[in-house]
Amino acid sequence: MMTELVLTFVAGLLGSSHCVGMCGGLTMILSLTPRGRWHIFGRQVAFSGGRIFTYCVLGGLAGVLGQRLAAAGATESAVRIAGGLCLLAGLFLVVEGLTAAGFSWRRRSSGAAACGGCLTGPLFTTFLRAEGLHNAFLAGLLTGFLPCGLVYAFLALAAARTNPLEGMALMTAFGLGTVPLMVATGMGSTLLTPLGRQRVLKAAAVCVVLTGAITVVRGASFLCGSVDPSGPSCPFCNRTQTSLTAPQ
Amino acid sequence: MSAATATTAACTYCGLPLPRPLFGRKMVEATGPQYCCSGCRFAHAVTQERGDAGTASWTLTCLGLALFFSMSVMVFTIALWSFDVYEPASEGNLALPAAFADLLRWLCLLFTAPVVLLLGRPLAVDAWEDLRRGVWSADLLLLTGVLAACGYSTWSVWSGGGPVYFETACVILVFVTFGRWLGASGRLKATAALDALQQLLPAEVCRVGADGPRLVRLETVQIGDILSVQAGERIPVDGQIVSGAAAIDEQVFTGESVPVGRSVGERVFAGTLSLDGTIHVRATARPREGAFGALLEAVRIARESKGRYHTAADRMSRFFFPVITAVAAATVVGHGLVHGWGAGWLAGLSVVLIACPCALALATPLAVWSALGRAAGQGVLFRSGEALERLAEIRAVAFDKTGTLTTGSPRIAGLVLSSEVDAAEVEQRALLLARESNHVFSRAICAFWSVEPGAWVAGSPVVRTVPGCGLEAIDETGDATQLGGWDWLRRKGIEADVSLDQAHADACRDGHSVAALAWGGAIRALFVIAETLRPEAVDALQQLRARGCSLVVLTGDHALRAARLADTLQVTVIPALSPQAKAQELAHWRARHGAIAMVGDGINDSPALVAADVGIALGCGTDVTRDSAAVCLLGDDLTRIAWALELAQETVRTIRGNLAWAFGYNFVGVAIAAAGWLHPAVAAVLMAVSSGVVIARSRRLGCADEGRPGSTAAAREHLPRAVVSTVPAAAAAGLAASEAAP
Repeated sequence: MMTELVLTFVAGLLGSSHCVGMCGGLTMILSLTPRGRWHIFGRQVAFSGGRIFTYCVLGGLAGVLGQRLAAAGATESAVRIAGGLCLLAGLFLVVEGLTAAGFSWRRRSSGAAACGGCLTGPLFTTFLRAEGLHNAFLAGLLTGFLPCGLVYAFLALAAARTNPLEGMALMTAFGLGTVPLMVATGMGSTLLTPLGRQRVLKAAAVCVVLTGAITVVRGASFLCGSVDPSGPSCPFCNRTQTSLTAPQ
Repeated sequence: MSAATATTAACTYCGLPLPRPLFGRKMVEATGPQYCCSGCRFAHAVTQERGDAGTASWTLTCLGLALFFSMSVMVFTIALWSFDVYEPASEGNLALPAAFADLLRWLCLLFTAPVVLLLGRPLAVDAWEDLRRGVWSADLLLLTGVLAACGYSTWSVWSGGGPVYFETACVILVFVTFGRWLGASGRLKATAALDALQQLLPAEVCRVGADGPRLVRLETVQIGDILSVQAGERIPVDGQIVSGAAAIDEQVFTGESVPVGRSVGERVFAGTLSLDGTIHVRATARPREGAFGALLEAVRIARESKGRYHTAADRMSRFFFPVITAVAAATVVGHGLVHGWGAGWLAGLSVVLIACPCALALATPLAVWSALGRAAGQGVLFRSGEALERLAEIRAVAFDKTGTLTTGSPRIAGLVLSSEVDAAEVEQRALLLARESNHVFSRAICAFWSVEPGAWVAGSPVVRTVPGCGLEAIDETGDATQLGGWDWLRRKGIEADVSLDQAHADACRDGHSVAALAWGGAIRALFVIAETLRPEAVDALQQLRARGCSLVVLTGDHALRAARLADTLQVTVIPALSPQAKAQELAHWRARHGAIAMVGDGINDSPALVAADVGIALGCGTDVTRDSAAVCLLGDDLTRIAWALELAQETVRTIRGNLAWAFGYNFVGVAIAAAGWLHPAVAAVLMAVSSGVVIARSRRLGCADEGRPGSTAAAREHLPRAVVSTVPAAAAAGLAASEAAP
């Protein structure tokens, strides 16, 4: 369990360049305060704290969902469900990564999503701009709910744990992984040129696609091979897992 | 209190009419703001409190904090659930998990309390206000359910046994608040689309007084004030230019994107945009009155009028509450007797939650408002939502000819002189008369010699207008000059030579009009006047035909000219109709083809516009008070008709879809909830989703083709310029300085 969490943390770290691309703007708004550098740092940490809290709760819910799904079937189908969720998560990541990298075959839905965005807009901006650590925390809390392929993917992984507490731990580890780069972006938002930001985004997209591909392979191996469901569940450790199971 | 005031009582925030008392009780006289639902109360509080950028409003913070506490409760509950699952499996010391579970339950109670206090209070206030107005609201049921769940759970924690429903209560409160707020925001967005027009006016204007120019609030402007309007600013009130000149973008009224030059003495209208040059304007109307005020008023009235779908939905929602109360009560009792009162209570709560009157209440007005707002932005003004609904059912379109299909400003196609006459004398005498008249033919004659009409020339004789015939001037020497219809002059016994007679016959055969000029007992010259078809007329008719509309042109003109028009446009033209005959002809067409719209210029065809199912008037522009038409095109672009028709059909489709969704959702949802298969927390989430679906569907109507000229988007593009130019340079510099500071 411990090693998985570390690896999820690493996955979050690598994937977080995607977060910077999507939500970096939010953290930059947070930094628009005339008070000192430490204040900005505090706000960034509070913001990330809020995000992680949301991820943690969502992870718990996903775990409960996975648990219920698994409880509904036998152990055999539990493995299948976990495998299916992995496959789903991986596909999510690949699509998300490709879209971010610019290989988009679906049009970004603008209608309903944009409308929802503009209706809840005041909520975000108010908290983002307002002074005080608690407001930054609340902004983070809400940001955690923003639709994001990366989060969905890891939620699917959390569901695959089929245990709420492990799901919470997994999502917390993922959230912690995203902290360094997000805080750094918020702190040094002025250092990155638009071009630099674009490059970071590209690199991030490639990372996300890779993570997704690995997760898909792992899900497929879950579905096809007979793998111990309590085995490692991080996308990065099952390379060995798949290489072990592949010859069978 | 009269019935009229009772029906017009509207929500302070979204403008939706307030719910009516159920059992015929009188409305309490309103003193403060009134809200139609807790969402509006909440959203209004948020917008009211929003002061400086540095402070988040307390209401929003409440929602945020409640969200945090709810999520914490969720975490504790998840932990509790995992105990439930693993307790049988865990071996060894059972005392520790039990103590831990107890701790978690206490924590749940502790964290639920602030949620109930923060979010329950607005609901309670709303339910109480409704109760005072004699309205039994769904909020009351909801609140009762939530408080009962909390009370029961608290008792469970206190007594150390039994289930707890804290997470359910929290999720319900958060999602109900969020869903209501979403609904209120959606409604505000829909009305804001209408109010976008109003926002065109600047909040502050530069008044030039004795002590020099000074920025004042728009509301304080009086008639007669001199206002300075810079390039890029909107003209704040109707007025007259007293100095300066500028190119004015009058798109708001005319739909015409080409600016017109206006200089000293000319009228300018509020809401139009000065593109270049500074002008000083003397106000001739108070702010929000005059032409722009009339436009705003028309839009406001349209918004408040209810269409047929809206009325139907309202009528049904009146039965909604009693029915839902009954179903919920039956569910509580039924499940309570079979599965125990806890389960019964939860099932009843699910029924109340899933039966979302929001979706039903939003289904029609939101779609109509979005459409009305978009139409207004595109220069199409619907008098009411009902006009929109009726337009959607149109199967045939009838057109007036003069001023509708043709430009209304005919041109001189030829001038035929009698043999022994001097061209210079014809010009001099014709202009003498034509200048004095506003008739389209007179204006065409003036335009022929490029002379401004109405310019009075010293020493000119008195010109008499003979209604329906022409003009006549007699100078001191008794020398009479007439300009008018051929038949009128011939009836007066005035001679015409053979060449002119021939020319007149030719012109009539070609479908042209003629005006004859006579003096000294003989007709001396003949103006052949041709009508010009609007350039977009053929396109516009083709578009309508493509939408399956039968087309007909109703005209008072004689048959020859009608036949010519029928050839050009490939439509049926029914000639020689009096205004009353036009109305009868419309009835025939309605019987044969279905609902019919009449398109006219709204001046001489009012009876026909009223007789049609939908009257569409062209070129209302600054005169939207013309009452005979249900639809006004601010400009005179005929292609807008097909556009409006499409919008209307799309709107009605959306309304039907919304209503189908709202009813289907409620019916299925209530059935599932009554069966006890739906957890209240899930029901709360679904309720927010349902409102969201209706809002998103309706808002889609309001946000399309924004790139088109004349749209609100295009109009708003000008806005920042206007705003920027009113910010004093010093303030702008200060802003830059503060941004540069670390």
